[in-house]
Amino acid sequence: MNRKALRKDFYMEVRRSLGRFLSIFFIVAIGVAFFSGIRSAEPDMRVSGDAYFDEKNLMDIQVVSTLGLTEDDVHALEKVEGIEAVEGGYSADALCTGNENESVVHISSILPTMNKVQVEEGRLPKAADECAVDVDFLEAGEYKIGDKITFRSGTEDAITDTLQTDTFTIVGAVSSPCYISFQRGSTTIGTGSVDGFVSVPADSFDMDVYTELYASVEGAKALTAFTSAYDDRVGEVTSRVEEIKEGREAARYQEVIDEANSQLEEAKEELEEAQSEAEEQLAEAEQELEDGQSQIDSAKAEIENSLNQLAASESELTAKQGEIDSAKAELVSRQSELDAAKAALETQKTALEAGNITKDETYQAAYQQGYNTALLQAYEAADAELNTQAARIESVITQLKEEIQALEEAGDTGEKLEELKTQLAVQEAALAQINSDAFRSTVKEQAKEELDAAFPEQFHEQYRQQALEQVNGYLSQLDTGQSQIDQAQAQLVSGQEQLDSGWAQISQAKAQLAAAQEEIAEKEQELIEGLSEYEQGKTEAEEQLTEGEKKIQEAEDEIGKIEHAKWYVNDRNDAITDYSGYGDNADRMRAIGEVFPVLFFLVAALVSLTTMTRMVEEQRTLIGTLKALGYERHSIAGKYLGYAFLATVGGCTAGVLIGEKILPYIIITAYGIMYTHMDIVLVPYNLSYAAAASAAALVCTMGAAFFSCFKELREQAAELMRPPAPKQGKRVLLERLTFIWKRLSFIWKATVRNLVRYKKRFFMTVFGIGGSMALLLVGFGLQDSIFNIGVLQYEKIQLYDGNVILNEEADAGEKQEVYDSLQADSRTDRTAENLLTQVKVHNGENKGEVYLNVPENTEDFSELMVFENRVTKERYSLDNDGVILTEKMAKTLDVEAGETIEIQDDVKGEIPVKVESICENYMGHYLYMTSELYAKLYGKEPEYNAVYFKTQDGTTKQAQGIGEEILENPGALSVSYTTDIESQLDDMLGSLDIVIVVLVISAGMLAFVVLYNLNNINITERKRELATLKVLGFYDKEVSAYVYRENIILTVIGGIFGMILGNILHQFIIVTVEIESVMFGRNINISSFIYSFLITLAFSFFVNGVMYFKLRRIDMVESLKSVE
Amino acid sequence: MENFVKLHNITKIYKMGEVEIRAVDGIDFSIHKGEFVVIVGPSGAGKTTVLNILGGMDTATSGSLVVDGEEITKYSARQLTGYRREDIGFVFQFYNLVPNLTALENVELALQICKDPLDARTVLEEVGLTDRMDNFPAQLSGGEQQRVSIARALAKNPKLLLCDEPTGALDYNTGKAILKLLQDMCRERGMTVIVITHNSALAPMADRLIKIKNGRVSKMEINENPVSIDEIEW
Repeated sequence: MNRKALRKDFYMEVRRSLGRFLSIFFIVAIGVAFFSGIRSAEPDMRVSGDAYFDEKNLMDIQVVSTLGLTEDDVHALEKVEGIEAVEGGYSADALCTGNENESVVHISSILPTMNKVQVEEGRLPKAADECAVDVDFLEAGEYKIGDKITFRSGTEDAITDTLQTDTFTIVGAVSSPCYISFQRGSTTIGTGSVDGFVSVPADSFDMDVYTELYASVEGAKALTAFTSAYDDRVGEVTSRVEEIKEGREAARYQEVIDEANSQLEEAKEELEEAQSEAEEQLAEAEQELEDGQSQIDSAKAEIENSLNQLAASESELTAKQGEIDSAKAELVSRQSELDAAKAALETQKTALEAGNITKDETYQAAYQQGYNTALLQAYEAADAELNTQAARIESVITQLKEEIQALEEAGDTGEKLEELKTQLAVQEAALAQINSDAFRSTVKEQAKEELDAAFPEQFHEQYRQQALEQVNGYLSQLDTGQSQIDQAQAQLVSGQEQLDSGWAQISQAKAQLAAAQEEIAEKEQELIEGLSEYEQGKTEAEEQLTEGEKKIQEAEDEIGKIEHAKWYVNDRNDAITDYSGYGDNADRMRAIGEVFPVLFFLVAALVSLTTMTRMVEEQRTLIGTLKALGYERHSIAGKYLGYAFLATVGGCTAGVLIGEKILPYIIITAYGIMYTHMDIVLVPYNLSYAAAASAAALVCTMGAAFFSCFKELREQAAELMRPPAPKQGKRVLLERLTFIWKRLSFIWKATVRNLVRYKKRFFMTVFGIGGSMALLLVGFGLQDSIFNIGVLQYEKIQLYDGNVILNEEADAGEKQEVYDSLQADSRTDRTAENLLTQVKVHNGENKGEVYLNVPENTEDFSELMVFENRVTKERYSLDNDGVILTEKMAKTLDVEAGETIEIQDDVKGEIPVKVESICENYMGHYLYMTSELYAKLYGKEPEYNAVYFKTQDGTTKQAQGIGEEILENPGALSVSYTTDIESQLDDMLGSLDIVIVVLVISAGMLAFVVLYNLNNINITERKRELATLKVLGFYDKEVSAYVYRENIILTVIGGIFGMILGNILHQFIIVTVEIESVMFGRNINISSFIYSFLITLAFSFFVNGVMYFKLRRIDMVESLKSVE
Repeated sequence: MENFVKLHNITKIYKMGEVEIRAVDGIDFSIHKGEFVVIVGPSGAGKTTVLNILGGMDTATSGSLVVDGEEITKYSARQLTGYRREDIGFVFQFYNLVPNLTALENVELALQICKDPLDARTVLEEVGLTDRMDNFPAQLSGGEQQRVSIARALAKNPKLLLCDEPTGALDYNTGKAILKLLQDMCRERGMTVIVITHNSALAPMADRLIKIKNGRVSKMEINENPVSIDEIEW
């Protein structure tokens, strides 16, 4: 193209046929974009995943040991060549009960650097009683940040054996690279599947040894995860770790045995201590009881005593009362007496004071007596006087005699003696007078006279005085008496008071006694209780001791049974749930990428090829002219090659730039629904795919241009100037079938002939439309297969609406109650009790995990579960000869009906069982057997742990209503609803849905472009023929119909071809895209056939509509003027 | 019948940017029913344009065309199509047969759409193709193809048979035979035939000769005694 004219012609050509140029451009762009984009999705997924894992510093190798791992193990692992770093971690599974349901969680310690958890909300735990919880688990609504969460171990051991505390505060919501999708792994407790994970600081664990070690491999980070380079590198190091495994296992085993033995010793000692302690305590208790008894006895006696005393006091009081009463009466009489006496005395006194003395007999007598007495006294006094005088004279005589004697003896005779003798004689004469009676009588007479004179008056006065005194004395006596009476009165009052208080005291004492009696009765009761307690305690203690002994025995046995430590060296695939699933998804994407874009690209390439070929053919005359003018062949061909090159390269560039960014982005983002927390999306350009797609596109268009040019250029210039020899009309096969052919209208005959005549166009169109249709159908079909499984599974196969899991800790009665109340509930239509447990099965090398389902009543169960062959629709029923296995698992295990598989059981080992039939199933894997067969195989009756129920009206609301009520039963552990699972399923598969939308839109675009292009070519090619028709007087509609008829037939044929092709592709893709635990439907809905066909038809009609205007614009004059 | 076809001051102007090209510049003539008309003129004189306007394939810029009392120049596109369909038979220089249909089917193609057609086989027999009816165009010689083309036009039983250089792509003898066929049709069926040619030698065979030059009728003459084509040599 070194010539100006040619160059100009080239540019003019592009400008003039911009539509064609752009159609090649776009068709190539779409083809390349789709091819390289979908293909890139696979490596981009790996790269994005790897970036996420690298960011989180995800471990490469995990070592788990059955006996835990020690620091020694850490050092040993660190020394292994290729290991970069090792970190130890703790983990445990636990149960927790939130608002409603019991959940199983996996608690693990936060590692120093590896497996970084991402804080989605809140913060990471710092204290030992804080934790961060799985954000997805929190979303389920059982807990929220700030709540307390309490864990139970779910086994016989306390959770505090492993953890410092059992209650944690939730401080954050986190995601973990160890749990990239919805699965949280399986466990041996609770429902058997983990619902969420909990991250706690390492301090929260109370364990001596690590439960697992995590290691990173040198150089592994630089490699992309999910590639063989990474797998090889890690595999190499893993095998080196396997080498040290045996030594470490033995070391750990020894350590554990030693420890166990020493612990056993300790335990034995403890037991002994406990025994003696128990005995001591029992003795003490006995003593206490005895003391108590005696205390009660004495208390009783005391009370008895008190009662007696009380009785005595009462009688005393009664007596006193009597006394007081009589005293009172006496007092009253005395008082009256006193008053009378007083009055008499007062009268007497008044008389006496007046001097009046009554000279009554008393007075006379008293007078006489007084007189006599006074006379006597006067006599006596006279006598006494005389006697006293006599005595005094006698004493003077005596004294005189003594003095005479003394003087006679002294011989003194003198005067003195004589004087003395005279005195003596005087004295003796006085004495003799005194002593003479006569004298005496005179004296007495004298005295009598004196008395008679004085006495009467003296006596009167004396008597009056005496009487007054006497009266006064009486009066004062009366006063005294009065005061005495008053005193007595007062005494009586106080006595009464005392009595009253005495009564009060008695009644109080009585009440007290009654209380005391009661207390005693209580005490007695207590004592009885204490006794029984004591007895119980005693038996218990004995039991415990026996148990302790037994435990020690068991422990001894167990030590004997301690298995040798076993190391499990896991890579990411084994250790991380869903990790391999991500890789599988990438592989699946590749599978889609291998089929879809290729077909897509093929269609695109063929269409652009046709377009180029047509262009060259159209310009036959020009080529001839140029050739005639003497242009070299390469210069002429250069134009077309250049045209093709420019359009293709432009299209490729645009396609790669857009396709490799947008499509992988959409797809990875779509998978993000499943891998919610893998937030890194990397969409680098994958030049290899770009190059491959571009090269293929270039080869197609340039090749087409080249070969067409070559064909044309081979001919002579003159030949080229003439119109090409028109294609020969041919009779078609159909014409031989005259009976049909005759019936065809003339126009149809022409149509049929035209179709057959333009074979290239026919095949191109059929392939183009068929390809697009196939893509559409696969797109819709995938959606059907995927979205159908929810409907098929829960509306055609598992007819129940909910599943109540029974609490294994509850007793049989409680479980029965759950079943009974479910059955009695008017809202349930049907219920069935069954055993649901996960078992491992295998057939030779093929292994799998299935749910073993043993219905209690096969009849009832068949109403809730349909066993049917997917293809033949034959119904199966359970019998005692064998089991029914679900389809996907049968395929995984590679078994057919009638063959035998083996169930692995902890107790029974390998149990061979015959697979009686294989049933349709989409979600999960199940193995159904009758209870009789179960009993036969396992040697025990099945323990039913689940109840399926079906509601009357089949609504979620009703099922949930039933569920909520049943959960209040202690026998019910949790309830799951099929609609829940259905929606979960929808989430999971929603990602594929977007991929499908991408496919459908792309396929639609392709269908449009293909149809447009081929129609365009068709019309241009047959312009002359169409102009002729117009000249002949065909109306526009008739002309269009002439063309449309062919198009419609081609579309229909293409559609049918597409259905066949699509069906095959669908079968292929569906198997590759499937997830392990799920079987996608194998069918495409009729509606999808209809939809994709309608879409194809719609595009066809739309394109035809556009063509209508093009047909109208055909100028008869111009078209027929001359031969081009 | 007088003035079966009447053209009055027909012009056709093509605008090519600023330039106006008057392909037909005020043509007036009329044709009687049953006449064999030959229009002659040099290349680019506007013959074909006139014919296209006559046949309803093209529209005049101004002027009026009346055919059998109907003013065609007032027709809409759809009416024009109807006009072509019912009243006009076209014969082209390059036959314009539908290559995918046999001779008979090509004729039938035309018959599909008109109200009062002749029998296809009869017409083909008339044009001398009794034995070639089931052949495809590619299997026929140029003359034979043109015969099919004529048969297709005739079978519609049109009011006007318009022939644009019908012999242009044919050799002398074949061309003569075709012209003979056309002349015979005119004479035998009383059909109005208009033939365009640049060959003035054909003038004597016409009932009416119209010469066109630079978009105008330069001369029109009535030939009272037209000769048979057999007598004309060129």
